[in-house]
Amino acid sequence: MSGLRQADRLLEERGIGEDFGAFVTAAAWTRDGLVSACALGDGTLALADRGGFRRVAAHDGAALALCADGGPAGFLSGGDDGRFLAVSAAGEITEIARFGMKWVEHVASHASGHRAAAIGKKLYLIDQAGQTQKQLDHPSSITGLAFDAKGKRIAAAHYNGVSLWFVASKSDNPRRLEWKGSHTALAWSPDNDVVVTAMQENALHGWRLSSGEHMRMSGYPAKTQSLSFSRSGKFLATSGAETVVLWPFSGGGPMGKPPLELAGGDGVLCTRVACHPVHDTVAAGFADGLVVLADIASERILPVAAPGRGAVSALAWSADGANLLIGTETGFAARINFSKH
Amino acid sequence: MTETSQQVPVTVLTGYLGAGKTTLLNRILSENHGKRYAVVVNEFGELGVDNDLVVDTDEEVFEMNNGCICCTVRGDLIRILGGLMKRRDKFDGILIETTGLADPAPVAQTFFVDEGVREKTRLDAIVTVVDAKNLLARLADSPEASEQIAFADVIVLNKMDLVSEPEAAALEARIREINRFARIHRATRAGVAIADLLDQGAFDLTRVLDHAPNFLEDDSHSHNEDVASMSFEAERPIDPEKFNAWIGALLAAQGQDILRTKGILHYPGESRRFAFQAVHMMAEGDFIGPWPKGAKPASKLVFIGRNLNRPQLRRGFLACQVDAAP
Ligand SMILES: [Zn+2]
Repeated sequence: MSGLRQADRLLEERGIGEDFGAFVTAAAWTRDGLVSACALGDGTLALADRGGFRRVAAHDGAALALCADGGPAGFLSGGDDGRFLAVSAAGEITEIARFGMKWVEHVASHASGHRAAAIGKKLYLIDQAGQTQKQLDHPSSITGLAFDAKGKRIAAAHYNGVSLWFVASKSDNPRRLEWKGSHTALAWSPDNDVVVTAMQENALHGWRLSSGEHMRMSGYPAKTQSLSFSRSGKFLATSGAETVVLWPFSGGGPMGKPPLELAGGDGVLCTRVACHPVHDTVAAGFADGLVVLADIASERILPVAAPGRGAVSALAWSADGANLLIGTETGFAARINFSKH
Repeated sequence: MTETSQQVPVTVLTGYLGAGKTTLLNRILSENHGKRYAVVVNEFGELGVDNDLVVDTDEEVFEMNNGCICCTVRGDLIRILGGLMKRRDKFDGILIETTGLADPAPVAQTFFVDEGVREKTRLDAIVTVVDAKNLLARLADSPEASEQIAFADVIVLNKMDLVSEPEAAALEARIREINRFARIHRATRAGVAIADLLDQGAFDLTRVLDHAPNFLEDDSHSHNEDVASMSFEAERPIDPEKFNAWIGALLAAQGQDILRTKGILHYPGESRRFAFQAVHMMAEGDFIGPWPKGAKPASKLVFIGRNLNRPQLRRGFLACQVDAAP
């Protein structure tokens, strides 16, 4: 029992947590880092600032996707009610678009103001005024979405590969990154040169854009649902194994190099990873509810939350790296402050 | 600690265009059964019922990366079932309607392949609606029609008001040639009791085999391209290693032609029954409840497919038995 209490010390001393009783589908922070939000399977958002949580009714159904909005404050959310919403830090809801029966499964934004939403095979690029700038078609449903660090391009994963679109381009011809199979999640490296997808067959596929080189990373016992590049770009942290699997992207990697494996040993699947935005540290959540921080260089592990609150389904760092947001499948959400007092 | 053991039952509704699939779906949704169903459809417009949980999707059939044309899954369903499970407390079951021309294999195989789908949902039954008036013509002109019957756990023989009793008997006999294990319900305007369609537990096949008509099977099939079904029984216990080696090699070689395999196996010294099932090449097995009291354990194996070689299959299965006592 003292071990468990030890594992919960950070949560108890530096965190606030609450049980919302609905699947936490996504977690995000406003770009200014002041307000956090969890999207929940009952359609509400759980917003929080230092003072505590409050519920905001957003979707009629499940809230499926969530990210920071393009501006300093506010969020974008998508739901299975077909609505794409802007949510202010104060919790006011503005409907950006409505897509009828179709689910809004992926949303993304960039600090330049761009907003994006994926609905089936279509990608919508929408500006801060709510005007649709582009409507981009894909060969099959979009399964992952990410802007590059500069906000110039957006990548959309789908069956048999990824489409890269220039946001401001006049002609809408994507660069297609092809690899046969079902791609189910996507990440873009901080230097914008590598796009990696997770695949149905418990493996990852990567493309180096400058050279056209393909990368294949496999050996997972389960599907990777979550992948995150470290701040330096030297490592790609991934879920899908009973440890945090980190692929080295420096010194000629990842091909031909074994991945680094951290925080294993309990035989429990890692379900979520989130790399720290400043240091080469990764937060990892497991199927039993355990959340840890792992320092990549020293391989030191710091427990954050003890097992027992449901499989971790969402993790997000505030942009300054001072705060971590946690969400689980059974509806527990917590934010933990790591800054020095 | 978690409630994930509660798997949501999924019913797949197949059938040719005009067979009465949408009528049946509307009937299920509008009947006052006190349960809530999520419905996955392809053409929402046809559904007249105001259901709060209708999901409109495009059938996205994906090949697995093994280069085999029969190893396919429904990528859209993996996403949609995953999404629905995030709000799973809100409904009692899921209905999936496929388009008229759809091959049921990818839907069924989705439940074998994806760990997330397997963990939180279970395929309860494949229900195929056929049009009594046009069935023979469909069987003659399209392979999908016989595949939909071959895959069915439950067949609704609809539009019975349009055929005579002798015609109906002939149709049932024709259906039995393809699939002797499905339960057939005769209907007019898709009027079938919901209790006969939902929560059948049909895909875990104990009931299927228990209720399978045990009439003498004849070897008279001459046209091998037709889909047929055959069953085999073994009296002595089955050696699991021999069986796995045999069935693995068989499905790898002929899985494109073998649409479904189901079996209840008696392993030596094992009081529980082992349930085996496969769709094309994708197979799984698990121990289920004990043998019924008083019944002598005996293993049974069923194949539904094309180009089935009965003597070869029988020899192969019987060779998996443990050696007879000297
Ligand atoms: Zn195959």
